Parts: sequence; structure tokens; C-alpha cells
Amino acid sequence: MTALIIYLLIGAGLFLFLLVMARRKNTPVEGCGEEFVQARHALRALQLGLLPANLVERIFDRGDFEYVTAESSREICKLFLAERKRISLIWVGRVRGEIRNLMHFHLGYSRFQSKLSLRTELRLALDFVLLLFACRTLQLWLYLRGPYSAPAMVGIAAGAAARVCRISEQSLAFLNPVASDSFQNDSTTGGAAV
Amino acid sequence: MSNPAKRKDVMAATQDLRRRTLAHIPQPLERLIYLSSTRDYNTGLYRHEGLALRFSEEASCEALADCHRDAFNELVAASLQDLVHQLKRYADNSKASLSEFIGAWRELEPYRVAIPAGADSLSSELLLSNLKIALAILETRLMAPWVGKPSASPRPSLVR
Repeated sequence: MTALIIYLLIGAGLFLFLLVMARRKNTPVEGCGEEFVQARHALRALQLGLLPANLVERIFDRGDFEYVTAESSREICKLFLAERKRISLIWVGRVRGEIRNLMHFHLGYSRFQSKLSLRTELRLALDFVLLLFACRTLQLWLYLRGPYSAPAMVGIAAGAAARVCRISEQSLAFLNPVASDSFQNDSTTGGAAV
Repeated sequence: MSNPAKRKDVMAATQDLRRRTLAHIPQPLERLIYLSSTRDYNTGLYRHEGLALRFSEEASCEALADCHRDAFNELVAASLQDLVHQLKRYADNSKASLSEFIGAWRELEPYRVAIPAGADSLSSELLLSNLKIALAILETRLMAPWVGKPSASPRPSLVR
């Protein structure tokens, strides 16, 4: 009887172990759809929602600040600066978040399946690290000095993020060429190609 | 609506809407408010009787949604100066006085429901923030009409 209980406990333990292993998120599995979809969402959010040049220009446009300074009272200038600071912090925070999502995808899945060259892999890894660092520095800078304090850094961060997106696009295309083709077909009806 | 024939229908409906209706509403802000008013808040679907009669319910709904998104994007890309100008014109065209208009818009924030579905949250935040500042600028002008108008003589300072 005791032996039976021991065997049952061992069996239950093994079952639990398998269950935990199967649920591990960072296990590279062929055709991991959820991760693919998440990475595609991150890429779309960056390319269509956060990095379009006209949006970045609008957020950090000095012309608006000059207009408010010339046309309004000091209270409105303060309100304007507080609002733009809030928006710029949301922007940089979201760029950083989406870049982290893409990096997670590359670390966990893409490198096992896509056919990026070693040089591209290394360049991408360096870009990710530098970009995350730049975003964090920019976040701190915008928080302390306001939205118009680091236009060059904004440009560099946006440019590097766009470069990472281009490489990730390649990587996602290699992952699932059939799905990628169908997305491109969809994009002819008004959406953007990813 | 992925069927090419249906898509053609939507494009025709969009062109018709632009030519017959939206051509008479030149400002993106006015277009945004008008198009959002054609949306049923319970279903999120757009309705336009005339357009639906000429085309189909579905095509008219998609055409209105497309134009709504376009107006939103145009407004997001507008400078603050342009937005203040558009808001002033919209207020002037409304039946209310400027002070009533500003009071109602500041308190009720009706522009929040004018954001199209699926709009990027950052773009929406930027537009809402700009509208808030534009309203504050208009309010200042209402209280002190000399602010913002070119003048040869020095202006009295609002800040003491």
C-alpha cells in the first residue's frame, strides 16, 4: 500500500513537472503563434503608431511652444509644457516597451528560426541594448528637463527604433513566410504592410 | 470587407461622401465632430441614410469610418495654432456664445467621444491634450481680448 502511494506521488510529481515545462514561456517551440502575433503587434505599434515622422515631429515641435509663449499667459505656458512633457514621456515609455517586446521575441524565438546572418544578429543585439539605454536616458532627461531639452536624442532614438523595426520585419518574414504573404495581401486593402 | 467588389463599393461611397457632404465642411475639427455624430454609440456603427440608400449599409458605414479616421489623422497632425483657429471658428459657427461654448467643452469634454475606434492611444492623447490647451488659450483670449492680437503698443501683463 505504501509503495503504491509512493508510485502515485512520483507519478503526480512527474505530471506536474511536465505541466510546468509545457507552460514555460521562453521555450522555443516551432511555429509559436502567440509570440509571433505579439511581435507583429509590437512592430505594428512602433511602425504605425509611435514612429511615423509626422507624429514625432508634432509631439516635439518647437513651433507649438513658440506659439504658446508668444500668444498666451504664463499659466498656459506651464499647462502646455506639463501636457507635452506627459505626452513625450508616454511616447518614450511606449517605444521602450515595444522594443522590449521585440527583443524578448528575438531572444526567445526568432534566433532559433530565422535566417539572419551572425553580423546582423550582433548588430541587432547591439541596437537593442543601445536603444533601451537611450530610451531610459531620454525618459530621465524629458522628465527632468522637459520635452524640448533633447531634440537630437529624440531623433537618434526614433532612427534606431526604425532600424530595429526593419531588421525585425525581416526576421518575422523568415519565421512564417506564408503568413507574411497573406498579411501583405491584406495590406493592399488599406492597411500597412508589416 | 476584404472582397474587392465590396471594397470598390466602399471607395465609391467614400468619394460620394467627400464630394457631396464633406466638401462643405472644410475644417478637420468640424468634420471630426460631424462624422462622430453619425456613429451609433451603442453599436459603434456609422449610419447615413442617404449614403446607405445610394450604396449599402455596410459600404456607407465603412466610408464614414474611413473619413472619420482621416479627419482624426488630419487633426492630430495640425499645429496648435491651427487647432486654436479651427476651434474658434467651430465655436463661432455654433449657436452658443463663446463663453458658453468654452464652459461646456471644458466641463463635458464632448470631444472625447469624437475619437474614432481603433485610433492609436498616443495620437488620441496628443489630440485631447492639444484641444485642452486650445480651449485654455481661447478662454484667456475671451477674458483678455488683447492677448494674441498684434499691437504696436505694449500689452498689459496677465501675470502679476
